[in-house]
Amino acid sequence: MSYIELTQVSKQYRRRGQATEALHLIDLNIEKGKFVSIIGPSGCGKSSLLRIIGGLVKQDCGEVLINGRSPLEAQKQKQFGFVPQSPALFPWRTVLQNMQLPFEVNRQAAEQPPQREELVKLLEMVGLGEFTDAYAKELSGGMQQRVGIARAFGSGAPILLMDEPFSALDEITREKMSYLLLNIWESYQKTVVFVTHNIREAVLLSDEVIIMSPRPGRIKARIGIELPRPRSAELEESEQFQQYMADIRAYLRQDWQV
Amino acid sequence: MHNDDHESKRHQPAKAKLSKRLKRLYVKSSFWPPLAAFAGLFIVWELATKLFAINPITLPSASAIAIEFFQSFTFYLSHAWVTFYEAVLGFLLGLSVAFVMGIVMAHSSVLERTLLPLAVLANVTPIMAVAPLFILWFGFGTLPKVLIAAIITFFPMLINSIMGFRSIDENHYEYMRSLHASKAEIFMKLRLPNSLPYLFSAAKTCVSLSVMGAVVGEWSGSSEGLGNVIMMSGNYMQTTRMFAAIFMLAFMGIVLTNVVRYIERKVLDWHVSANSWN
Repeated sequence: MSYIELTQVSKQYRRRGQATEALHLIDLNIEKGKFVSIIGPSGCGKSSLLRIIGGLVKQDCGEVLINGRSPLEAQKQKQFGFVPQSPALFPWRTVLQNMQLPFEVNRQAAEQPPQREELVKLLEMVGLGEFTDAYAKELSGGMQQRVGIARAFGSGAPILLMDEPFSALDEITREKMSYLLLNIWESYQKTVVFVTHNIREAVLLSDEVIIMSPRPGRIKARIGIELPRPRSAELEESEQFQQYMADIRAYLRQDWQV
Repeated sequence: MHNDDHESKRHQPAKAKLSKRLKRLYVKSSFWPPLAAFAGLFIVWELATKLFAINPITLPSASAIAIEFFQSFTFYLSHAWVTFYEAVLGFLLGLSVAFVMGIVMAHSSVLERTLLPLAVLANVTPIMAVAPLFILWFGFGTLPKVLIAAIITFFPMLINSIMGFRSIDENHYEYMRSLHASKAEIFMKLRLPNSLPYLFSAAKTCVSLSVMGAVVGEWSGSSEGLGNVIMMSGNYMQTTRMFAAIFMLAFMGIVLTNVVRYIERKVLDWHVSANSWN
């Protein structure tokens, strides 16, 4: 049995009596400790898929199992570290207090809150060691998202769900952020489901890339990325890397209607 | 260091220090212009009453008011104290009821639709018209004044607290849900801190309104308080006394608003609008 397992999952949204099918009979399994990207055009239901896994949205039919339990059960036991598109830091809390937030709610899921040093170490890893006591809103967008990522890794949750975390950042910051994420993930080895529409990012970070078709969202292809780890910037220039990108691009282009 | 690609407001120590110095200078200098304005008013007032030989029953001279005020200082202070605690008690009562109702109404749209019309009714009814009724019901004591001040405070506080509890960032809410936070936790950690700027913004207005409420209550029937002093001196054409009481009320309004501002700056140091003078 896989760590995350979806069987025949479908989801419809109803708006003004009209139903649109967001996801159509999705079968997906993700192994523990893997970095898996979900890539697809806007509106292909990839965010819905992520939210179904995280127990934030309920599927209409099909089954979702997280380590053998329902997503809601897994959510209750704080199995998920969610990194939304906007960093979702509370402006009235300092950076460190935002890092501590996951341990202040839903306390029946008994886990020991980490030592301050542990969280500071994580912040140092993302280059924000000197900003522990700054208010979240004093940081730039890129810095805030780094806190969001550090918070997810520091939360103790084994599964991280990232919903286009870099999409609001400029291209240069974005590239840097993907290496930062790569770096921190390689030292923590958590299971990551990473939603993106950036091909380079998907190849660079992932063990596997799942390509989705436009509405209704279906899984079009799954490509295992067999690049050596730890991955570096030189790797991006390699032929193999470029080939993976070309393959994914070709799949995505199939759905173009020009 | 990874922050070379970003600008941080913390990361410009020289600039920050300069702006801090400018701010301190501003706060210092901001003390003088209002003082000059008051001094100017006093001088123009004094000269006008002397120059045009205005009947002191119509308009006493500024110096006469000042002398009256300081000669009978304890008299004014004791009446001011009465009005002060009526207003403050009413303000706190109105604020508390609005806060609790705000919590209820922000969580249930059915209850909001049921209760809001009643709140609106209380708001649109002229408080002057209701004040005599309250005196009839509750007598000449403190209670009716407190209630009138509370009613005036209640509505703006209610509307702003509902708005503050409701207008949370969708992303923040979803993040809390992903941690399986309970409704109470979402309230304490998200809705409440989110509402504070709204609450303080209403409180700054309401605290001076509550003084008005207390005075209206005193007019309708009382034996003490600055409203009573104004009414009685009006009956006896003691204009000087009237003005002294009016200034005492204005002063009370300034003090109360600034107390709220001070608390706001302490509590909301993370919030930008706390720095502005609104």
